[in-house]
Amino acid sequence: MCRILFAALTGAALLLSTVAPASAGKPRRGAQPGRSGKKVWSGLVVATNAAKPLPATPTELHRLDGTLRRTFGYNQFEVIGQSRRALQNGEANWLAVSKHFSLHVDPRGVSSDGYRVNLQLFQDRQILLETDATLSTSSPLVIRGPQVGAGQLLLLLVVQ
Amino acid sequence: MFMKTFEEKWTAWIDDELNESERAEFEAALEDRAAAEADKNQTHKLGALLKEQLQPRAMGNEAFFHHQLRERIERETASPAARATPALRQTWWSIRRLLSLGAASLAVFAVCTFLVMREEPAPNQSQYLTHILNSRVDPGMNPDATVSIFQTKDDRATVLWVDGLKSLPSDYAAK
Repeated sequence: MCRILFAALTGAALLLSTVAPASAGKPRRGAQPGRSGKKVWSGLVVATNAAKPLPATPTELHRLDGTLRRTFGYNQFEVIGQSRRALQNGEANWLAVSKHFSLHVDPRGVSSDGYRVNLQLFQDRQILLETDATLSTSSPLVIRGPQVGAGQLLLLLVVQ
Repeated sequence: MFMKTFEEKWTAWIDDELNESERAEFEAALEDRAAAEADKNQTHKLGALLKEQLQPRAMGNEAFFHHQLRERIERETASPAARATPALRQTWWSIRRLLSLGAASLAVFAVCTFLVMREEPAPNQSQYLTHILNSRVDPGMNPDATVSIFQTKDDRATVLWVDGLKSLPSDYAAK
């Protein structure tokens, strides 16, 4: 009798171990991003290849260094303009700005998926690119811009 | 020494086991010597007949009886402790196999738990990814521009890849 019970428990443990939880890998629908107070780091970055690449700064860029290297094929990333600013609904902001490029953001509210924004990348006074996106805290946004000299302009947005 | 009874002497006389003096003394004491001799002859004939007729029969299944006898002898000569212990029923579910199976199950459980836990993201991170809803490039400035969207596996970064934009001189990289 004890052996049968032991064998049954062992089989049950084996079955439980081979069945993954139904919620594994799925989004948690109950989790919602914060309504306000989240800051967005934005950066205008020029990616180049250098014999002795300089370390990527600030922290937001440093975290993405490996991904940027693998994705775009450059080994040095220089910030030419950046901003760290809280998004407020209905309040358009200028984020990262450099001598020739600037990023304009228009928050469109918070949804269950993240921060809905309208982004406009300006080259001098002309719109180069416009996009509507939903930003998430765990997923930075990288936009590949035009070729600049021997490098590549990248636009980064990281919700903090 | 003690005195033999008549019956003992009679049996010994019939079997010719008396010495000379005893036999002479016993025969002298017989009342009817001829009748006694006739009884002795009849007894000898009967013995010979019985010896001839009662020969042991040859066994047709000798090996079987030997086997039975050997088993019985082994049972009776076995140790008392062994006789006292009942024979356990031999099954596939031995204790050692059950323990091995339990250990293997726990190992599989640990491996699966590790794999499932590793696939789950950090608890303080949101499960949602950044999504590009739409994007536009001014066709007047960059008529050949194309847009594609993908996500990197490692950092889960969303990449908006714009191709075909006009190249700019290096002084556009100024801060």
